[in-house]
Amino acid sequence: MRPSAGNERPPGRPVSGFVPGFAAGAPPPAAGASPFGAAAPLARPGGPAGPFAPPTQQQGPPVAQAAASPRGPFGAAPPAAMGGYRGPPPPQGSFGAGPPPPGPFSAAPPPQGPFGMAPPAQGPFGAAPPPSQGPFGATTPPSQGPIGAAPPPQGPFSATPTQGPFGATRPPQGPFGAVPSSQGPFGTAPPPFRPPPSALLQPQSPTGNTMPSPTYVRPPPVQSQPQPVQGYYPGGPNPQFPPSRPSFQQPMQNMPPPSMGPPSSYSNQPAYPTTGPPMGTLQTLVEDFQSLSVSSAPGSLDPGVDVNGLPRPLYGDEEPAKVLEAFPLNCHPRYFRLTTHTIPASQSLVSRWHLPLGAVVHPLAEAPDGEEVPVVNFGSAGVIRCRRCRTYINPYATFADAGRKWRCNLCTLLNDVPGEYFCALDASGRRFDADQRPELSKGTVEFVAPTEYMVRPPMPPSYFFLIDVSVSAVRSGLLEVVAKTIKSCLDDLLGFPRTQIGFLTFDSTLHFHNFKSSLSQPQMMVVADLDDVFLPLPDDLLVNLVDSRHVVESFLDNLPNMFQDNVNVESALGPALKAAFMVMGQIGGKLLVFQSTLPSLGIGRLRLRGDDVRAYGTDKEHILRIPEDPFYKQMAAEFTKNQIAVDIFSLSDKYCDIASLGSLAKYTGGQVYHYPSFQATTHGEKLKHELSRDLTRETAWESVMRIRCGKGVRFTTYHGHFMLRSTDLLALPAVDSDKAFAMQLSLEETLMTTQTVYFQVALLYTSSSGERRIRVHTAAAPVVTDLGEMYRQADTGAIVSVLARIAVENSLSDKLDSVRQQLQLKLVKSLKEYRNLYVVQHRIGGRLIYPESLRYLPLYILALCKSLALRGGYADVSLDERCAAGFSIMILPARRLLNFIYPSLYRLDEVLTVEPDMIDGALKRLPLTLQCLDTAGLYLLDDGFTFLVWLGRMLQPELMNDILGVSLSNFPDLSKDSVERM
Amino acid sequence: PAAAAARPRPGGAAPAARAAEMVFVWLAAFFLVVTLIVLVIFQLMCLADLEFDYINPFDSSSRINKVVMPEFIVQALLSALFLLSGHWAMFLLSAPMVYYNYTLYERRQHLVDVTEIFNHLSREKKRRLFKIAALIVLLFLSLFWMIWSVLEEHE
Repeated sequence: MRPSAGNERPPGRPVSGFVPGFAAGAPPPAAGASPFGAAAPLARPGGPAGPFAPPTQQQGPPVAQAAASPRGPFGAAPPAAMGGYRGPPPPQGSFGAGPPPPGPFSAAPPPQGPFGMAPPAQGPFGAAPPPSQGPFGATTPPSQGPIGAAPPPQGPFSATPTQGPFGATRPPQGPFGAVPSSQGPFGTAPPPFRPPPSALLQPQSPTGNTMPSPTYVRPPPVQSQPQPVQGYYPGGPNPQFPPSRPSFQQPMQNMPPPSMGPPSSYSNQPAYPTTGPPMGTLQTLVEDFQSLSVSSAPGSLDPGVDVNGLPRPLYGDEEPAKVLEAFPLNCHPRYFRLTTHTIPASQSLVSRWHLPLGAVVHPLAEAPDGEEVPVVNFGSAGVIRCRRCRTYINPYATFADAGRKWRCNLCTLLNDVPGEYFCALDASGRRFDADQRPELSKGTVEFVAPTEYMVRPPMPPSYFFLIDVSVSAVRSGLLEVVAKTIKSCLDDLLGFPRTQIGFLTFDSTLHFHNFKSSLSQPQMMVVADLDDVFLPLPDDLLVNLVDSRHVVESFLDNLPNMFQDNVNVESALGPALKAAFMVMGQIGGKLLVFQSTLPSLGIGRLRLRGDDVRAYGTDKEHILRIPEDPFYKQMAAEFTKNQIAVDIFSLSDKYCDIASLGSLAKYTGGQVYHYPSFQATTHGEKLKHELSRDLTRETAWESVMRIRCGKGVRFTTYHGHFMLRSTDLLALPAVDSDKAFAMQLSLEETLMTTQTVYFQVALLYTSSSGERRIRVHTAAAPVVTDLGEMYRQADTGAIVSVLARIAVENSLSDKLDSVRQQLQLKLVKSLKEYRNLYVVQHRIGGRLIYPESLRYLPLYILALCKSLALRGGYADVSLDERCAAGFSIMILPARRLLNFIYPSLYRLDEVLTVEPDMIDGALKRLPLTLQCLDTAGLYLLDDGFTFLVWLGRMLQPELMNDILGVSLSNFPDLSKDSVERM
Repeated sequence: PAAAAARPRPGGAAPAARAAEMVFVWLAAFFLVVTLIVLVIFQLMCLADLEFDYINPFDSSSRINKVVMPEFIVQALLSALFLLSGHWAMFLLSAPMVYYNYTLYERRQHLVDVTEIFNHLSREKKRRLFKIAALIVLLFLSLFWMIWSVLEEHE
């Protein structure tokens, strides 16, 4: 595990000034374990930002400037820029975190914050010096040619305000440092910024009076020495600077803090004459120092950063509920979320939106009680759809001609209203019965589909279990857990009383089981011919559960004993899959494969590809992550064609090539569960929970999904577990409430002519009760011409979902390293674009600003880069785990994905004494920082798949005894007792 | 020039027989190229049908995959024909495609992947369009040489 993404490049390297933060993002490994260490660096940028946002034009008294400057950039940017901005003033959210570090240091860090996470971007920016980018150039370490050469511009400015502020700011610090108590700035600062943005630009003096003292919350610890005045003038420090640079880069300890003062002030000026906040080499240096202090080296500097103040997603995913306010007829965002709830009006706007433009669809999301999806039956009128584009009637459709026609909102075609469906219109053109008809008043409805929507009569839900009974499965206790869980779920299986069930066990031979209802015990038939698999019985292999219940139960009771003496190590998965296909082919349904070893016999046998360390970092790296044998893809295609969904439970203790097996799930709408080193005692509960969830959750069978959208836009790429049956039709043999799909949009026209774009997700499926249904979600999004509005409406959860899926797909054809870089590049580009947007208008200078809506994005991207699927290289994650995590990311809905990459951390020892029913309120989610971990604490980390219990070193032994029931002295391996659940 | 290179074979058959032989070779080459073009156009049509949703991906890919190997074999035959009949220039023109087919086969990318067919659609189409272009060049050349050798025979 690496401490942070930043580590991937040598800290001193002059990448691009504007991302100097990356150095900060990469604290020395000592800083902590992955997520925690990673989080820490982020904190740093926050604080300093304040003081150095120098209001460009100000000439006011030093104090006033000092006052204005700290808030200037942030305060100014958000209110002005982000119309939709609500809640606490931005400075607090994003930057409030850091009580500004001491003067000299504060200069550098500001921009780092968000960018610290995005090293790769640096290249491009370093190379791109248009004026607007000046700020970025400014941050580049002086070692780079341009900057060293740049000083001339300073001339004019040495006299101008730019320098004034700095000169001014420094001195005041003394007083301010002393005056304000610890938190002044943030508590008090915001009010001044509430006023309309225009106030921020010029009239600094008024605010200046009120603000200065609060801003400089913290006495500058670093600033032990008075600043040399000449430091602020271009002439003086320049010559000195280059020589000192090398020493700054590596041996940070050598540099006494005071010496940094002077360079800080001038280094930025050359590159960024207009507003030049102090940045540059110093920055790297400062960051180095700060990272040192974060790692809590004794005697090091005060980090000066309030980690707790940084924006952290402690409340998980935030659904863009405000969309519903603007478009009350839309479906709830839990079903459909756009990455930004706007549609750019032109191609050029799209190219400036560097984040993905797309949507996350979760068609069967579980609705809270009271919000169940209404079911509509049109009866003889038939389902009302547009003649041309086949859009279903929805609340956005308008009626005309006294109610005899309706206009499709997607393609604007005027359709006839069937006689049975006719209703008069009121004065405003609305139907009188609109409120009584859910399809005209709700964004989400379900239509009962008549027979035209059936290729064949709806099939009963069927479950077929393919269970590996080779020696490793027997030894690990798999059979017992599986048999017990299935038995306990028999009552809850979907589709009672039509449910079909069947079992096939296999090792080096295939064992069919006859569940004929007239039998009292199941009959086992062994087929040893793996090359030409045949069914020993024409039927009774997949039987009705109600009729054969007693046979199935007796089979499940005997299953663990039947094979307990099996010493067969082979596994003929391929032939078993073919056999299962023959059994299920007619009906379709769900195939659950329990595989405990690498398939070794018959078609589809896999070799131990091994996780070759030499492959990492080369062009061959990705080959390990793609299916080796085309057999599995072909099988998957056959399964999809016959409406069979495959769920893979891989429980191997060794490599079992999830990459190949997983493709079965990938193209059939299935899911991959992976239990490394499965032992019934350790993982039994987890398996039990996940298996019963899999068997009993709401499932839609034999389904297809299509998303229609208005003119001018088109969905181009789809990400998730499905198979494309035509360019925009997703075939989903089974889809359930745990699966979400992501897709990307593209503009077909260079200029959008409409004001609103409508989307309609339609899922045609067979319900477990055997009814053909169409679930329709309709949403509208406004077309905008303003990039700022796109940022304002951005939805971090959806963006992270789409980005994560793209990244996982890229990791199948590219190196992990470059996948991570692409992610970071996108982040940096988007933040830079946002910055450019407002730097021009408001002259914010070298500050980093980002929209309120994306304040967690940098953190999530970092978390994504550190997720199991993408982090590190060879030794960091085993290949199987990496692939399994990748498959999970491809299906998780936004909320669960965010929790997966940024898990919830709770401190438990404090709530152990609380009444059990009060615990929910008492548990507080903690940020994932090292500081949050107290060695005397007991913590729980929950990523939605696993519970990780962290026992502090100094935890009271009695407590430990009580919890684990084991005394510490003879407790062998802590990891074995982690409680796990779905 | 290729034909010319082949012509002065010392101790070869009589000039008339040689010329007839050449006509036969060119005729065979011509039909092989036509076959190839038909095969590739058939694949392109399957892809286009798929794109416009006239056919499902399972049928489309199985149809395409059925003719991929025949296409490769015919292509190899054509090159072998040029090589054996001593038409070096024509051989050099057709050999790269054989080599390309071979590398595809080696990487096991010669068959269309039904599960990913939509993602690869544009790539697969491009490949085949380039093939068509190259084949048409071959077609005209062999037509030209066929006529040339027929005229020569008459002289």
